[in-house]
Amino acid sequence: MSKLILLFLALIPLLCSSFSPETPSDRRVLVLLDDFALKSSHSLFFNSLKSRGFDLHFHLADDPKIALQRYGQYLFDALILFSPTIERFGGSVDAAAILDFVDSGHDLVVAADSNASDLIREIATECGVDFDEDPAALVVDHSGYAVSATEGDHTLIASDDFIKSDVILGSKKIEATLFYDFSHYMRQAPVLFQGIGHSLNPTNSLVLKVLSASPSAFSANPKSKVTTPPSLTGSSISLVSVIQARNNARILISGSLSMFSNRFFRSGVQKAGSPIKHEKSGNEQFLNELSKWVFHERGHLKAVNVQHHKVGEANEPAIYRINDNLEYSVEVYEWSGSAWEPYVADDVQVQFYMMSPYVLKTLSTDGKGRYFTSFKVPDVYGVFQFKVEYEKLGYTSLSLAKQIPVRPFRHNEYERFIPAAYPYYGAAFSMMAGFFVFTAVHLYSK
Amino acid sequence: MVVTSKASPMAQDLLNSFSLPKTLKLKTKQQELLIRVATLSLIYLLAFVTRLFSVLRYESMIHEFDPYFNYCTTPLGRIVGGTLYPGLMLTAVAIHSLLRLLRLAVHIRKVCVLTAPFFASNTTLVAYFFAKEVWDSGAGLVAAALIAICPGYISRSVAGSYDNEGVAIFALLLTFYLFVKAVNTGSLAWSLGSAFGYFYMVSAWGGYVFVGFQHVQSGEHMAAMGVFFLLQVFFFLDWVRHLLSDTKLFQAFLRITVTSAVAVGAVALGVGMASGYISPWTGRFYSLLDPTYAKDHIPIIASVSEHQPTAWSSFMFDFHILLFLFPAGLYFCFKRLSDATIFLVMYGLTSMYFAGVMVRLILVATPAVCLISAIAVSATVKNLTRLVRAKSPSVQSGSSKGTSTAKGSSKGVVDNSQPFQKNGAIVLLLGAFYLLSRYAIHCTWVTSEAYSSPSIVLAARGAHGNRVIFDDYREAYFWLRQNTPPDAKVMSWWDYGYQITAMGNRTVIVDNNTWNNTHIATVGRAMSSYEDEAYEIMRSLDVDYVLVVFGGVTGYSSDDINKFLWMVRIGGGVFPVIKEPDYLVNGEYRVDKGAAPKMLNCLMYKLSYYRFGELTTEYGKPPGYDRARGVEIGNKDIKLEYLEEAFTTQNWIVRIYKVKPPKNRW
Amino acid sequence: MARSSSKDAQDLFRALWSAYAATPTNLKIIDLYVLFAVFTALIQVVYMALVGSFPFNSFLSGVLSCVGTAVLAVCLRIQVNKENKEFKDLAPERAFADFVLCNLVLHLVIMNFLG
Repeated sequence: MSKLILLFLALIPLLCSSFSPETPSDRRVLVLLDDFALKSSHSLFFNSLKSRGFDLHFHLADDPKIALQRYGQYLFDALILFSPTIERFGGSVDAAAILDFVDSGHDLVVAADSNASDLIREIATECGVDFDEDPAALVVDHSGYAVSATEGDHTLIASDDFIKSDVILGSKKIEATLFYDFSHYMRQAPVLFQGIGHSLNPTNSLVLKVLSASPSAFSANPKSKVTTPPSLTGSSISLVSVIQARNNARILISGSLSMFSNRFFRSGVQKAGSPIKHEKSGNEQFLNELSKWVFHERGHLKAVNVQHHKVGEANEPAIYRINDNLEYSVEVYEWSGSAWEPYVADDVQVQFYMMSPYVLKTLSTDGKGRYFTSFKVPDVYGVFQFKVEYEKLGYTSLSLAKQIPVRPFRHNEYERFIPAAYPYYGAAFSMMAGFFVFTAVHLYSK
Repeated sequence: MVVTSKASPMAQDLLNSFSLPKTLKLKTKQQELLIRVATLSLIYLLAFVTRLFSVLRYESMIHEFDPYFNYCTTPLGRIVGGTLYPGLMLTAVAIHSLLRLLRLAVHIRKVCVLTAPFFASNTTLVAYFFAKEVWDSGAGLVAAALIAICPGYISRSVAGSYDNEGVAIFALLLTFYLFVKAVNTGSLAWSLGSAFGYFYMVSAWGGYVFVGFQHVQSGEHMAAMGVFFLLQVFFFLDWVRHLLSDTKLFQAFLRITVTSAVAVGAVALGVGMASGYISPWTGRFYSLLDPTYAKDHIPIIASVSEHQPTAWSSFMFDFHILLFLFPAGLYFCFKRLSDATIFLVMYGLTSMYFAGVMVRLILVATPAVCLISAIAVSATVKNLTRLVRAKSPSVQSGSSKGTSTAKGSSKGVVDNSQPFQKNGAIVLLLGAFYLLSRYAIHCTWVTSEAYSSPSIVLAARGAHGNRVIFDDYREAYFWLRQNTPPDAKVMSWWDYGYQITAMGNRTVIVDNNTWNNTHIATVGRAMSSYEDEAYEIMRSLDVDYVLVVFGGVTGYSSDDINKFLWMVRIGGGVFPVIKEPDYLVNGEYRVDKGAAPKMLNCLMYKLSYYRFGELTTEYGKPPGYDRARGVEIGNKDIKLEYLEEAFTTQNWIVRIYKVKPPKNRW
Repeated sequence: MARSSSKDAQDLFRALWSAYAATPTNLKIIDLYVLFAVFTALIQVVYMALVGSFPFNSFLSGVLSCVGTAVLAVCLRIQVNKENKEFKDLAPERAFADFVLCNLVLHLVIMNFLG
């Protein structure tokens, strides 16, 4: 019994922590829905998560019993908001609580839709994303719409303007049909989108457009005539955006809830003006790969085992001398969803830094995660830092700093017995000899 | 204690000159010796005691900015000798271990605190011997008394000012004394002693010779080398003339040698300059010769208050009557020219000139001024007393040979006996004593009021004349030590660097010894930029806390707002985006409503006056009334976006702000 | 003109030499010693000009040891010179002791600075 309690106690930190440095993928995900019907209508997306080992907890968004944290510990590692119309969450959850959840290192998926509530808009705005203010507006594209039998207002868009990042979208091309064309060598199946557009706040440097609208798109109410110029037009409209916060929490914001639905996953797609009809839309792969990124199954780096020492020595010194030759190494791994695997890149750099970098060197790697280089300490003394600042699109940022003082030569460390100086030594000693001879002669001559 | 011993040297001196021998059993010489030794030991004590005001009033601690650095000399990345000088530390350690050897358990800090007064006492001894060598023992006693209480010297040697100067002045005077002694006796041993004194001085003060080769390469030292070279040539010529009796031959020889010597010197100098061995003169040196040089070219040197040209008031403050006695002393020196007096006159005149150029150098001029004034006092008093005693049968037969010559020089005065001469002499004598006693009173007052307050503890007079003590600096530094992470980096203006390092135990961006002008300029730029620009700079410097000193509540005038223009100048010297006129209105520096918009919104203004607009500092004045500058501030509604107030001391003298981390999602 | 000036020079040096010949032997020994020191210094300066001033402290200490020796020897010469009236009250023994002491210190310092 007591053993069980001990085990439980030992597990508490594991259960309660956000993505731990050891296994960064989230495990417990809270899904807040407008309507439980979404559970079945979007089951393909949810099942994909479950099959990857996520533990989904479904609740209605206005359920008074929902809580993100208890006794100061978060109960979940990630949050999916599929509740575009909710005006007030149940329980103690509100916008500030959700933003705190993100700021303490947890991930968030927000799907809005036309008529998105102010609450959802507020959360999005805080993350650097501004939805079109007109509640009835949808993204309309009269040339990039998806050919469909039923709809004629061109609000169902087929978009293939993806962000060019393998780490966010996966290196596997969206399968569908391999296709030959004169203008495009290989084309991915477009993603179906129907919903509200948003723009990125230009002052936010962290938010990224993952799926953009085409240049011919605009955001307006399709039911009424366009009288004033639409506020959002062209490719500045973002359909799906992601943010990686400075604490590496990741956020996905989409203007369409239906793009996650089974119907869109299964649907075939033909973009207007294009002769190709894809059997299956790109939604399933696009969103599954994106969710892998959001939930840290890809692009999560860690750096361990920073070592530095003088060339030819093994131990790390407490202080270097100017002009020492030193070796620096660090190991960098990427989380694959189940294990840490060596990260291989050729652009990891180390700085030897004191107010400004005195040495900046690209590290070479052995392909097994170890990065290393050697360089000469500059001829400047002071308190330096070994700094690795690695920020690459889609990857978590690495920021390592290790302080190390550099001292000048000691009094007895300067070079001695330099051949060029022998005449001077000779002169000094001959003066001394001369002194003795002179003393003797002087005394004798008296 | 102070009052009695202050009066005593004068009285003793008087006795000394009178020297009433016949009535007593002791022989004249023995008696005089006794009096002299007694006087000297009293002066020795006095010099020590008068410097203890600060210890009595506050506590045994180390005061200034630089001394703190000297006390905790564990500098990271500083070459010994390059920027810190070992003489002082070695001395303190030597005294400490000597005391330990005598089984006296004393804390090293106490030793450090009392090092300066101890050396000041020793300086009085050296001054006595120096003046005795140059003039006579009477002048020696006066010189010792004058230098013991001279404010110009006390300013750098009160208990607790553990600074290089305290020891260096002793070494300087010792060197000069030994040098004069060597010149007078012609003995190599004295000159060797002089060389050691010199070595001690440079190791305590600045030119630590083992460091680099500046002493042979910089242009500043070329003159000394040239003089040495010329001396050799001159004496060689002298010798040759001695050998050659024929003048015509000697003329020819002279022509040849002088031409060749000048040619060799010029060629050596030219080659040195051209090949870059002899570096051009540094800015500090130029500013010595031309007081306006630094202001135009190197704001960083001009910004140090010690490097400003001296005001008349501070001459008066530091020298008092010595300022008037100095020319009189020069007159006496010229009347009796010898190697020693010429040396003293040269030393006095040059050091006076340089003291006029830089406030800091008053210290160097002080011993010379004291010595020369002492000659004036001693000679005057001696002449006057002789007049007073003119009718008495036996004219005093001085023991030292100096006296006899002095008598010779004043013979003219004695001979023509005019009516009322004696009465006149008595009046003049009384006048002289009155002046000297004023001097003593002035010195005591200055020492107690101006120079004994440690600059990290400020004292002021309260509304009812009671003494109010502001211990804000230490409060702030202890807060830093207790409440910030050990690896936090603090940005402040460089003046406070040492103290933050030593008392707050935190890393600073720039400190008093930062010679990297760019770093100081970067800090100056951050302080004079808008908050968002400054935030970028602070992020790049990894700054966690920003510390500003603010005197608006207490009326403390040497705060950061008053130093701010220097930050602008220094920042603008490296980064031309910072322009001084942006902070001025019609060339005027203001912080009230009429101030320049950039001034009202720069980081320094915001940090100094944050929340100040709500505060009523003085009865009958509007809120936000700045007592240091006597105006109501112009921007009372200050919002900080990237920084947050972390700590403000009791009297608002030190304000510490925390740099917020960047927004998580932005 | 050239002839006359060279003749002048010859006269000059002859006069110098004859005057110098009268100096006592012990002073001549000192002069020899001074010359030796000065020449050693000159050789070093020439060497420095040829090779470059890399171990500058060594060069300085070498030259300064020569200069110091020469200066001290000249001092000794002035003090033991019987004709010189300025230092009459200074015994030649005392002068020599000072000289030895100063030389010891000089060479200690030089040794320290040489390396």
